[in-house]
Amino acid sequence: MPSADQPNIDPSEIALEGSAARCFKNRSEAFWAGIRDASGVPAMVLFAGMVGFGAMGKTNGVDIWFTTATSFLMFALPGQVVLLEMVITGSSILAIALAVTLTATRFITMTVTLFPQFHAKDRNHGLYASVHFLAMTAWAISMREFQTMEVKYRSSYFVGLGLLCWLVSIPATMLGFLLAGVVPPYITLGLVFINPLFFLLAFTEVGSWTNRIAIGLGFLLGPLFFILDRDTSLLTTGLVAGTIAYLIDRKILRKRAGVMG
Amino acid sequence: MNTALEGWGLWIALAAATLGTYFCRAIGVLLAKKINQDSEIFRWLAAVTYAMVAALVVRMILMPLGLLSTVPIWVRILICILSIAVMVSKPTRRLVPALLTGTLLIVAYGVIR
Repeated sequence: MPSADQPNIDPSEIALEGSAARCFKNRSEAFWAGIRDASGVPAMVLFAGMVGFGAMGKTNGVDIWFTTATSFLMFALPGQVVLLEMVITGSSILAIALAVTLTATRFITMTVTLFPQFHAKDRNHGLYASVHFLAMTAWAISMREFQTMEVKYRSSYFVGLGLLCWLVSIPATMLGFLLAGVVPPYITLGLVFINPLFFLLAFTEVGSWTNRIAIGLGFLLGPLFFILDRDTSLLTTGLVAGTIAYLIDRKILRKRAGVMG
Repeated sequence: MNTALEGWGLWIALAAATLGTYFCRAIGVLLAKKINQDSEIFRWLAAVTYAMVAALVVRMILMPLGLLSTVPIWVRILICILSIAVMVSKPTRRLVPALLTGTLLIVAYGVIR
């Protein structure tokens, strides 16, 4: 990530127009800048992911309203996939609620790292509404772009960015569902495959070793727990692999690095 | 398709999932002022979350339901490896080319077979 005094060091930043300090005249301009930033690659990737999810809904036999409602109400692709998988394998409501909530715990950390960067005046009850737009895409862009703008415009910028991401996901889900029904099977195959592929690729961008180990162990233990008991396998894999990764980090990695004393 | 949850059960499951998801976002807002993102419980929760998502992705790729299960497992794994290779071929990551590689390859497989 380029620092503020070396604005053009990273070519990917140039394409996003304005890695240097961004001057907005007012909040409305910041809002539209957020909309504009979302409308390129971020919206495309999100669109593809949600099209894939819509196709997944169709091929797994749930209806278009249910599939689209998950995007509208949840707007959290991994949680939506967990819900869909558990619904079609007939898990209990309690197990579904627990598993989905656990996949959503990342929103706690994402919110905690993002919202303190807003102006004190913007940190009010309105955040309980705009937090619904917070997902991986908007979070990653905000974390990068917030440093380039004045504190008082960040909230408006975030709302523009997140709102478009959310709005894009709804027609994308419907389109994916409808396409899966009429296009040839090889196109549906591509649509269904975009989803796991997207997450798989996103794992290569995970920075911390704890989380990398957790992902690696999740890959190994996931199929094992799935064979033992598929309903609870996501929960058990998460708890076992995550706790092992956390302990490896706490007991070994941090001591070796010597930074934690 | 073995749809065990039907009718109201389906929508109750969605309501529970929606509440659980929003609960985490709302808790985040509540804690944003007070909580340190470097605290131990967050490190642990983050690891648990990543492991869960990893288990989900590996399940979707290796043990999928529906159409994807008609593609041989070695084809799926090979395409994943090729896509990751494209992704990490540049330090800043190539998400869009990598996504296109994987998607087009599996579509190509679907056309050929």
